[in-house]
Amino acid sequence: MTAGSLGEFEGQPLLRVERLRKYYPFTKGILFAKTLGQVKAVDDISFTIAAGETLGLVGESGCGKTTTSKLILNLEEPSEGRILLRGKPIHGLAGDALREYRARVQAVFQDPWSSLNPRMMVGRTIAESLIVTGWGNRTDIAERVRELLEQVGLRQDQATQYPHEFSGGQRQRIALASALASEPQLIVLDEPVSALDVSIRAQMMNLLKDIQARSNVAYLLVAHDLATVRHMADQTVVMYLGKIVEYAATQTLFDNVLHPYTKALFSAVLRPRPDRREEEIVLAGEVPSPLNPPSGCRFHTRCPFAMAHCSREEPPLREVEPGHLVACHLYDAAAAPAFARMKEEIVPT
Amino acid sequence: MSIAEQGVAIAEAPSDDIVLDVRDLQTYFFLRRGIVKAVDGVSFALRRGEVLGLVGESGCGKSLTALSIMRLLPKGSARTIHGEVLLNGEDILEKTPNEMREIRGRKISMILQDPQTSLNPVFTIGEQLREAIFRRTRGRTREVMREAVAALRRVDIAAPEQRLGQFPHQMSGGMKQRVVGAISISGRPEVLIADEPTTALDVTIQLQYLKLLKRLQEETRMAILFITHDFGVVARMCDRVAVMYAGRIVECGPVDQVFDNPSHPYTQALIASVPKMTGSTERLYTIEGQPPSLMDLPVGCRFAPRCPYADQRCLAAYPPSFTVGAEHTADCWRMTAA
Ligand SMILES: Nc1ncnc2c1ncn2[C@@H]1O[C@H](COP(=O)(O)OP(=O)(O)OP(=O)(O)O)[C@@H](O)[C@H]1O
Ligand SMILES: Nc1ncnc2c1ncn2[C@@H]1O[C@H](COP(=O)(O)OP(=O)(O)OP(=O)(O)O)[C@@H](O)[C@H]1O
Ligand code: SF4
Ligand SMILES: [Mg+2]
Ligand SMILES: [Mg+2]
Repeated sequence: MTAGSLGEFEGQPLLRVERLRKYYPFTKGILFAKTLGQVKAVDDISFTIAAGETLGLVGESGCGKTTTSKLILNLEEPSEGRILLRGKPIHGLAGDALREYRARVQAVFQDPWSSLNPRMMVGRTIAESLIVTGWGNRTDIAERVRELLEQVGLRQDQATQYPHEFSGGQRQRIALASALASEPQLIVLDEPVSALDVSIRAQMMNLLKDIQARSNVAYLLVAHDLATVRHMADQTVVMYLGKIVEYAATQTLFDNVLHPYTKALFSAVLRPRPDRREEEIVLAGEVPSPLNPPSGCRFHTRCPFAMAHCSREEPPLREVEPGHLVACHLYDAAAAPAFARMKEEIVPT
Repeated sequence: MSIAEQGVAIAEAPSDDIVLDVRDLQTYFFLRRGIVKAVDGVSFALRRGEVLGLVGESGCGKSLTALSIMRLLPKGSARTIHGEVLLNGEDILEKTPNEMREIRGRKISMILQDPQTSLNPVFTIGEQLREAIFRRTRGRTREVMREAVAALRRVDIAAPEQRLGQFPHQMSGGMKQRVVGAISISGRPEVLIADEPTTALDVTIQLQYLKLLKRLQEETRMAILFITHDFGVVARMCDRVAVMYAGRIVECGPVDQVFDNPSHPYTQALIASVPKMTGSTERLYTIEGQPPSLMDLPVGCRFAPRCPYADQRCLAAYPPSFTVGAEHTADCWRMTAA
C-alpha cells in the first residue's frame, strides 16, 4: 500500500494533495517592511481523501493545519505542489469553474464569527449561499432553509435573528447550515465542534455522520480533541511543524501510536476521570520556530528518543507496518526491507 | 436531604477567604421582540486560590455571566438588572466606569472567549502586550520589552522576539489564544476569569498552558473562574465545578463528587455525551430536544421539557437548591425523595 492508495476505495480519490508547500514571508515593520525569512507553514505534504470519507488532521498549534485547509479551499496559492479535485488541479481556476469549485468544497472554520455577516439575519445568510449556487425558486429556498435549520438543531424562529444574538456554539451551527446548503462534495471542518458543549458536540458529530451516510460528502476534519477524531475520521494525519509525521487508518493509528510526537500528543489527553494517572510525556525544550525549523527530524529538539543522526538526516515518511506511515528514524530497521520500493511509491511526483 | 437556602453551603466556609461573591445576578437583553433572560439568578462564591469550573449548554449564559462580572456587557440592549458582585466585599456593580478601569486588569482580569475580539487587528502583538504590561508596571521601555518576550515564552510561543512584530492575522488560532492569555495574566490579578482559554490549543500545548496557569495560581493565590466544555480540563484544573443550564446554575460541587455522583439529570446527560478514547465509536449519546428560548422560559424546571424524570412538580415550580453532599447542591425536585 502507498500513500496514494490509502483511503482510495474506488478509482480516483476525491481530493489529492501532492507535495504541497506554503511559505509565508516573515516581515518586520510596516512602513519599511523587512523580510526576515520565511515561515514554512506547510512543507511538502501529500495525502488523499476519498469520496464519502473523513480525514482527520491533528497536530501542534501552528503546525499548518489551517494553512492546509485554506489551500484546499483555494483561499491561498501554494508555494509549490498541487491539489487535485477528481483529478483536476484546483488552483488557477477562474470564473464559472471557480464558482463551481466553491459550491463543491465548503468550509466551517475555527471561529464562526468571521464567516457570518453581522448585518444579515441568519436565515438570509443561509438563503444567500443557496442563491449563489442557483438553488431553485423562492419557495424551494425557503423550504431548504427550514430543513437546514432543523438539521443543525436550531428553532425556526431563530432564522430572523442576527448573528450577535447567538452564542458561540449556536453560531457554529449556523455556519454548518450554510456550508451544507449547496450540497458540497467536500467540507473542510476546521475545529467545527471545539466551541460546542459536549451534548451539542455529540449531536453535531452524529449529524455530520448522518449527512455523510446520506450524501457521501467527504470531510477534512481539523480537530484538537482526539476523541472527536477517533469517532469521526476514517484516516488520520498527524502533522508537526509543517510536515506529516504519521498517517494511517484511524483505528490502526489509535491502536498503535508509533511516532514519538504522536505519543506525546496522546499522553497529554486529559480524561474526566483520571483514575489511573497515565504517564504524561512532557516535551522538553522550547517549541521550535517554523521560521527556522530544526535540521534533520524537526522533532529532534524535543524528542525523548532522539539519536545522534536524528539532527542530521530527515526521516522520510514511509510504511513501517502495513498501512501505517511514519517519519521517524526509530523505525529505520522495520522499514529497511521495503525502503527501496517505498521511496518511489510514497512520494508521488 | 434538606432544602438548603441558596448559597448556604458556601456561607459555611470562612468568609474572609472569599474573594469574589456573586449573588443572584440577573442580566437581560431588552429587545423590541421581548426580554432575553440570558443570566437569570446566578450565585456562586470563589475563594482565594480556588479554581471553579463553569460548564454548560452552548448559549446558557456562561460568557454573559463573566462579562456581567467584568462590566463589559455588549453595548446596547444588555443590562444587569439585579444582583451583587462582591470583590473583596465591595460591590463592583456600584463602581464608576473610572474605578472599573482601575479594577480591570489589576484586581480582576478576563481572557475573552474570542481572541479575535480582544486583539486589535491594526496593532502588532508586541504593541498590545507592551501596553498591558506598561499599564501595570509603568516600567522603562527596555524592561517592558523584556517582560513581553518572557510573557510570550511562558505560553510556549516560539521565537517570541520575532513574533512581537507580527499582526494578529499572521498567527495561528492557538497562538492568538495564547497571546490573549499572556496579556490577561501579565497583570497578576486576584481573580481571573478564563472563558474557554484552551479551545483552540492542541492537547500538548494545552497541558503546558494549564500547568502554567496552575503554577501562577498557586504562587499568587489567584482565584480562577474557568469556563470550559472539556470535562478533562475540569478534572485537571478545578476544585469545584458549577453546571449551568438556561441562565441558571443547576448543580455545583467538588469536581470528584459531581463526576462520581452527578445529581441533576442535565449533568448526568452531559457526562454521558462525552466522546471516549476507548470503546465503541458508534452513535454518541445526545439529549433529545432543544433548550428553551430564553425569551419564553418555562415556569418550572427549565430542563423539564427534556428530562426523562420530569413530573407534575417539575412543571409547576422551579426547584430550590437541595444539598446532596458536602458543598454539593443540585436544583432538582428528585432530590427531595432521596
Ligand atoms: N498570513 C500569514 N502570514 C504569515 N504567517 C502566517 C500566515 N498565516 C499563517 N502563518 C503562520 O503559519 C504557521 C501555521 O499556521 P496555521 O494557522 O496553519 O496553524 P494551525 O496548525 O492551524 O494552528 P492552530 O492549531 O493554532 O490553529 C504559523 O507559524 C503562522 O504564524
Ligand atoms: N446581543 C444579544 N441580543 C440578544 N440575545 C443575545 C445577545 N447576545 C447573546 N445573547 C443570548 O444570550 C445567551 C447567552 O449567551 P452566552 O454567550 O453567555 O452563552 P455561553 O454560555 O457563553 O455559550 P457558548 O458556550 O456557546 O459560548 C445566548 O442564548 C444568546 O443567544
Ligand atoms: S527521528 Fe529521531 S528525533 Fe525524530 S522522532 Fe524519531 S527518534 Fe525522535
Ligand atoms: Mg488553525
Ligand atoms: Mg461563551
